[in-house]
Amino acid sequence: MPESAWGWLIVVYLFLAGSGSGAFLAAVYCDLLAPDWSKSLAKAGSLIAGPLVAIGTVCLVLDLEAGLWEPWRQVYLAKNLSSMIAWGVIILSGFIPIALLYAAALNEITFIGKIAKKYIRILEYVGSLLAVATATYTGVLIAVVNGVPFWNTPMMPVLFLASAISTGLAAAMIVAAIIDIDTIKTLSNFALGHVIFLAVEALVLMLLVFMSLTRSTEAAISANMLISGVLSPYFWVLVVILGIVIPFILSIVEYYEYGEMPKTLVIGSDLLVLMGGMSLRALIIFSATPPQIV
Amino acid sequence: MPRYGIAIDTTKCIGCHSCRLACQNQNGLDFTETFNWIKDKERGKYPSFDKEYIPLQCNHCENAPCQRVCPTAATYTTPEGVVLVNKKTCVGCKYCMEACPYKMRIILHHQGIVVKCRFCIELVREGGTPACVTTCPTQVRIFGDLDDPNSEISRFIAESGAEPLRTDLGTLPKIYYKRS
Ligand code: SF4
Ligand code: SF4
Repeated sequence: MPESAWGWLIVVYLFLAGSGSGAFLAAVYCDLLAPDWSKSLAKAGSLIAGPLVAIGTVCLVLDLEAGLWEPWRQVYLAKNLSSMIAWGVIILSGFIPIALLYAAALNEITFIGKIAKKYIRILEYVGSLLAVATATYTGVLIAVVNGVPFWNTPMMPVLFLASAISTGLAAAMIVAAIIDIDTIKTLSNFALGHVIFLAVEALVLMLLVFMSLTRSTEAAISANMLISGVLSPYFWVLVVILGIVIPFILSIVEYYEYGEMPKTLVIGSDLLVLMGGMSLRALIIFSATPPQIV
Repeated sequence: MPRYGIAIDTTKCIGCHSCRLACQNQNGLDFTETFNWIKDKERGKYPSFDKEYIPLQCNHCENAPCQRVCPTAATYTTPEGVVLVNKKTCVGCKYCMEACPYKMRIILHHQGIVVKCRFCIELVREGGTPACVTTCPTQVRIFGDLDDPNSEISRFIAESGAEPLRTDLGTLPKIYYKRS
């Protein structure tokens, strides 16, 4: 019997769709609520949101085995609305254009950007809704799968949303630093965002793993793979220590040091968050255990 | 309309894999591709123990998760209750493979589509029985109408108390197993 149908392409897709929508939310937050010094972060976030989600979607399309050879088949993709993939197609086809338009508007790219700038508030509100929808949907996609009891819990979308915001913020901060390294001082204000969302992520992850130990035999097998089994080195080192604990501590320091922390540490901590988010999705997909049927 | 199912008596199965070969032949599958699996499981305790062979294939669930998650509606249920995949609209997203709790679907990479047991619907509509049922040398399988109380399969289920696997998963499978 085939054990797992989904692999790295889906992992990368889940990660990019999540971090792209997180970057969009970070950009809108900065543009709407934060003062002038946060504009570089808003710019960076808006510039990467659309492309990240679009590249993720390309991975998803590459994983459609017939869709690749006979691409016209993809017109059927939204036929059955009880399928989360159908909803994903609808959400993504709304979010990607809006995210690209928002990038054009905020950075005044070409005349399209100038026109779109007039409607920037609408783009921000509608886009934010769609960004939350995208990030949440990547979790619902696997949470409705009763073929894998470990995934089959409402905690999954919550975890994916929290991780999407952390990774999106990290991606936006890295790009902001690339665009203008001097902004790194002001970026320390956003370290608080990392502290909050990494904490939420850690809490939900802990609930997910430990509650799975008692939820069902198969969910427990998956959870055990993560905490003490074959995948445990990756789980503890890549996801927990490097992906959550170290960036969490660095972000607290960064917040109180107020821009005095070495630039390499700031960027390094953001890179760790990205690596952790990617590893988290990979481990969730690869720890899938189907029900034992005989 | 009949509501087709299969009853399997694992106490008679000798694990010869004839059903798998007949199925591969009927469905034009390569030897690495299969719709039937024979799982073996030890039962009993030393010194009185033996091996149970359990033939597995798609259960044609009445509440089929594979059908619910299929974005293209390529997976559908015929009026006879047979769950099929439309080869022309399947995009090969493999969501159904993840959703099937019994893991009874496979992907044909060279065609980019997902396939599984079809209850040999073309033979059945002509009045025949699925190839796995006809082939089995020890007559482990009984194919028939679950809604007809006088059919061989319904009587067998009533007498033996055969039950589907993992009814707790709630998919209402239509393959019944007599396991002791
Ligand atoms: S056994 Fe799996 S593939 Fe067959 S109908 Fe049930 S869920 Fe679908
Ligand atoms: S692989 Fe084909 S049959 Fe399965 S869910 Fe996707 S489109 Fe439907």
